Amino acid sequence: MVNLDKLRETVKEMLTREDVKYVVGYEKGTYGFRVSPSFAFIPEDVDKFIFSPLCVNNLTIYPMLEEKLPLPKDEKEDARKIGIVVKGCDSKAAVQIIQEKGMKREHVVLIGVPCTGVVNPRKIKARFSHQGKNVDVEEKNGKFVFVIDGAIHAIPKEELIFDKCKHCENPTPVLYDVLLGDEIHSTEKEDYEEVKAFEERSFGEKWDYWKKQFERCIRCYACRNVCPMCYCKKCMVDQLSPQWVRRSTNLSENAAWNIMRAYHLAGRCIGCGECERVCPMGIPLTELNKKLQKDVKQIFSYTAGLSLDKKPLLAIFSPEDPKEFIL
Amino acid sequence: MTEFEPNIVAFLCNWCSYAGADLAGTSRLKYPPNVKVIRVMCSGRVNPMFVVNALQQGADGVLIGGCHPGDCHYVQGNYFARRRMAILKKLLEYIGIDSRRVRMAWVSAAEGNKFADVIKTVTEDVKQIGPMQHFRRSNEW
Repeated sequence: MVNLDKLRETVKEMLTREDVKYVVGYEKGTYGFRVSPSFAFIPEDVDKFIFSPLCVNNLTIYPMLEEKLPLPKDEKEDARKIGIVVKGCDSKAAVQIIQEKGMKREHVVLIGVPCTGVVNPRKIKARFSHQGKNVDVEEKNGKFVFVIDGAIHAIPKEELIFDKCKHCENPTPVLYDVLLGDEIHSTEKEDYEEVKAFEERSFGEKWDYWKKQFERCIRCYACRNVCPMCYCKKCMVDQLSPQWVRRSTNLSENAAWNIMRAYHLAGRCIGCGECERVCPMGIPLTELNKKLQKDVKQIFSYTAGLSLDKKPLLAIFSPEDPKEFIL
Repeated sequence: MTEFEPNIVAFLCNWCSYAGADLAGTSRLKYPPNVKVIRVMCSGRVNPMFVVNALQQGADGVLIGGCHPGDCHYVQGNYFARRRMAILKKLLEYIGIDSRRVRMAWVSAAEGNKFADVIKTVTEDVKQIGPMQHFRRSNEW
């Protein structure tokens, strides 16, 4: 993975620059296999920065989450940049946000980190459910190596990484200002096999499956809050006039919310899988996202988060768009 | 047993489809009375949320009517609508809702006959599929 000294050195150097406000990275979490986002404002803050296979969070949301209060008269906006440590998928989110003009390219400094797959917290928690002390995980020869109470564990990578990482097409960030480490080229191709298998089922079976999933949703909106693409100032579910989705948690409202959440990410979702990771009820939200990703790729030959010059999918049209469903 | 009479909500664009429906009426064409028309200024005005909300609140089918490609009063609104609905239909299909419940039609102001035909096809299709019971909103507070 990445040389930590080099990461810290780069960030420190960046913080001494006039035009950088702060840098977002990862630091050790407080317990178990946690890693938490860390903000460095002064070079001393950088000493706690780490990068390990546990760094799952997509940090691209932070520039979008930043609160922008109305400015007092005669005061100028703080136009300094925000530095972000990005993995392959995180950089795609940044590209997509910039493409949609959600933020400006000049507003961020991307520190690219080539990534070889990150640990799925759910999978590792299933094995070590009572881990109290924080553990460091290292990657060595295709295995995740870590020490718990003096015992060395080495678990094959395939058993612990996210499913999205297995078919990752962009392990090296798409967009970066500084790249730490060597570029990794991936020969993997996303084949959407699960999606295709599910499509084959009958309408009744499909709905039975999704009904069970949607019924469990508690509408905490964690999926929305963690999503780097969900940066609307006012989300449509928070609107009261008109109130599109009622606040009660029942199948009808949950289904409407989940359909619209997936729909609003059509052609925008970059597949970082954060929504599924944070879902307290374990609803397979990425399945919906993947389905739309696949269809958008197939019908409109469009992939989100790869180029800055393309226009957003639903902001353009072509006379050759599908018309077989039109009477 | 009485036959199932579907509820169909039609979002018709002000310039073409709505005028087409008007023409069907003034030329005294017969078409099923199951359709409830909502006039919108353009088919591009139809937010996919409208469709989902209609399905939640009692519609068994939704029809979106717009001008023929190239004839849109706002030049390109119907193209955008087509793109949106293509994606929405795929998503609904994946969730297990027959995509024939959400239909789109190009009906110009001169096509009263076509309007009547469209309504007939849509009504027959939805009758065949049966009532929409997937995520109906219950009005208990």
